[in-house]
Amino acid sequence: MERVELNREGLVLPATAPNVAADHEEIDRTPVRTYWQLARQRFVQHRLAVIALVVLVVLVALAYIVPLVTGPLFGRTNLAKIDAPATLEAPLGYDELGRNTAVRLMKATQTSLTIGFAAVLIIVGVGSLVGSIAGYMGGIVDNLLMRFVDIVLSLPVLFIILMIVALFGAGNVWVVIIAIGITGWTLAARLIRAEFLALREADFVQAARALGAGHRRIVLRHMLPAAMAPLVVAAALGVADSVITEAALSFLGFGISSPEASLGNMLTNAQEYFYSAPIRAVYPGLVLVLIVLCASFLGDGLRDALDPRQRIGK
Amino acid sequence: MTDVRAQQVGTDGPGGQPATRPAGPRADGNGRSGEPLVSIRDLVKHFEIRGGLLGVSKVGAVRAVDGVSLDVARGETLGLVGESGCGKTTLGKVVLRLIPATSGEVYVNGEPLFRASADQLKRARRNMQVVFQDPYSSLNPRMTVGEIVGEGPLAHGLKSKREREELARELLAKVGLNQSHIHRYPHEFSGGQRQRIGIARALALNPDFVVCDEPVSALDVSIQSQVLNLLEDLQQELGLTYLFIAHNLAVVEHISDRVGVMYLGKMAELAGVMELYENPRHPYTVALLSAVPEPDPRRRRKRLVLKGDVPSPANPPSGCRFHTRCWLREQLGNPENCATVEPEFRDIGNGHRTACHWAEEISPETIQRAVQRQKPVVSAETPPSDAPAAA
Repeated sequence: MERVELNREGLVLPATAPNVAADHEEIDRTPVRTYWQLARQRFVQHRLAVIALVVLVVLVALAYIVPLVTGPLFGRTNLAKIDAPATLEAPLGYDELGRNTAVRLMKATQTSLTIGFAAVLIIVGVGSLVGSIAGYMGGIVDNLLMRFVDIVLSLPVLFIILMIVALFGAGNVWVVIIAIGITGWTLAARLIRAEFLALREADFVQAARALGAGHRRIVLRHMLPAAMAPLVVAAALGVADSVITEAALSFLGFGISSPEASLGNMLTNAQEYFYSAPIRAVYPGLVLVLIVLCASFLGDGLRDALDPRQRIGK
Repeated sequence: MTDVRAQQVGTDGPGGQPATRPAGPRADGNGRSGEPLVSIRDLVKHFEIRGGLLGVSKVGAVRAVDGVSLDVARGETLGLVGESGCGKTTLGKVVLRLIPATSGEVYVNGEPLFRASADQLKRARRNMQVVFQDPYSSLNPRMTVGEIVGEGPLAHGLKSKREREELARELLAKVGLNQSHIHRYPHEFSGGQRQRIGIARALALNPDFVVCDEPVSALDVSIQSQVLNLLEDLQQELGLTYLFIAHNLAVVEHISDRVGVMYLGKMAELAGVMELYENPRHPYTVALLSAVPEPDPRRRRKRLVLKGDVPSPANPPSGCRFHTRCWLREQLGNPENCATVEPEFRDIGNGHRTACHWAEEISPETIQRAVQRQKPVVSAETPPSDAPAAA
């Protein structure tokens, strides 16, 4: 058997073309970086995401440390200080019941963040479980699960949440979290399922199957990491959505109610003073916007950072 | 030890071959020898077209593979050609049970593959591997080269990470890659290098049978020859058997011992490589071969341009599937059996099989006449881009 010339291609190639690059003797000295090192480098390039991360970290730190230090101060009323102006002790002044607004705001942020992140765990967990089973199995299982998703999607979400909260205890943070979680996973499920349907036919998944890898390994090692982009997007949207839903619930009086603090019930209180002290609505509103914005920027950055095909500049 | 092997692969000069072929009995250019390693029997794969309100009622089927029987002898390379959509890639995937067959059976070493239990299937997979066409999508971008190559051994119980890395290094050297690259990710490599990684992955389980699904179609021509030579060297060194799927006739001619031609999910012709290229006995093969680009611009080319498009595999023509485009049928005055009787895939001697009622009528004269008959086609003289066989 002679070596290739590909003559019928109309291309004359040297039959002596080196078959193998002769470099396997020497050791490549360019530094080997691990997956997470590379991911960090890609993330750092994403300026908005880095800023969002910093803001979020500061917010989380304040929200969890300040109430820890001040204890029950967030709910303590002080008739002498009703509507008192800002001092060093209370940088944002006092509210209509003489409560320290800054401390109260931090406690409210803590509640909202807890609800946002915990609910998103449920959303992403249930969503990716249902979505990956449907997408991986296909056929009748897929059909049944997706019709179920359609049913859940067709329900009036806020009404269902209100019902759950009313039945199982208004004002309980965990009831609110579960209510938001079990109504909000459908988008994540749909995104993951669509991704899995495509990935099932991907060459590298077929190759893993040909190698004899089991279902669990194929799903966990090959398909789920490849479906990371829609998963992260779903999570970022989920955080934003959950925080807003909680605010809406509390605004309607079904979520977290006074003396407990949440961004939602601070907004509710603020509406009575909308003309006399509009600034009271601005504080919780601003924190809400910050959380939502940071979550989506962070999501963008994470999505790119976790994709090894993204180039690292410089 | 490892390095020496790598050297062998690397510096194997022109015409330099190992003196012996450990492959054992190898089919010569014209026939088969020994027990077949892989037997494909009446393989059918239909993709159902579903419709209706709930998407559960069947409204038709794409007959991607429609009754193919083949034997692949141990140590041989069986080339499989045909234009896009003829079912050759589907055939390759069904043979490996990567997608379920509609009916038929594949025997590997005499063992039925489709009836195998999960355990038997897993064991059978050690013996049959695949190299994909696209070197970009066939490697998991989130795994290092070492993990990719070591995946098969891991799935089959090689738990020690150190041993897997050792094996991966050895395999990388064998396919001509730098051993120190096992901690790198696929996107850091070129197309040709990635294809080598794919080959190393396939070889990690030490298989007998490898389905090469257009392994060089996505590569530059210069890289193509390197990868082809690598595949040949590995075949000789390890005694591999290839089912080599391609649409480039020059590549198939070079690497194959026997060549099968597929048309619309069926085998049209099967013969030893010399025999098929010198003495085609199916009008479709004749047309395919006439579409191969001619390197010498001074030679006048006589291309036989097929009329029309490939019919839809969801609704293939009756009788001989090729009769709607057949130049021979036209010349013979449209004999009736072409459109009504499905031709048998018959042996016309020497293991040369063809699915044409009128195979004996093919001769240089009839081909000549067909070329002259056809209306002058402008593209017949220019390098064809629409030719069914051109890469």
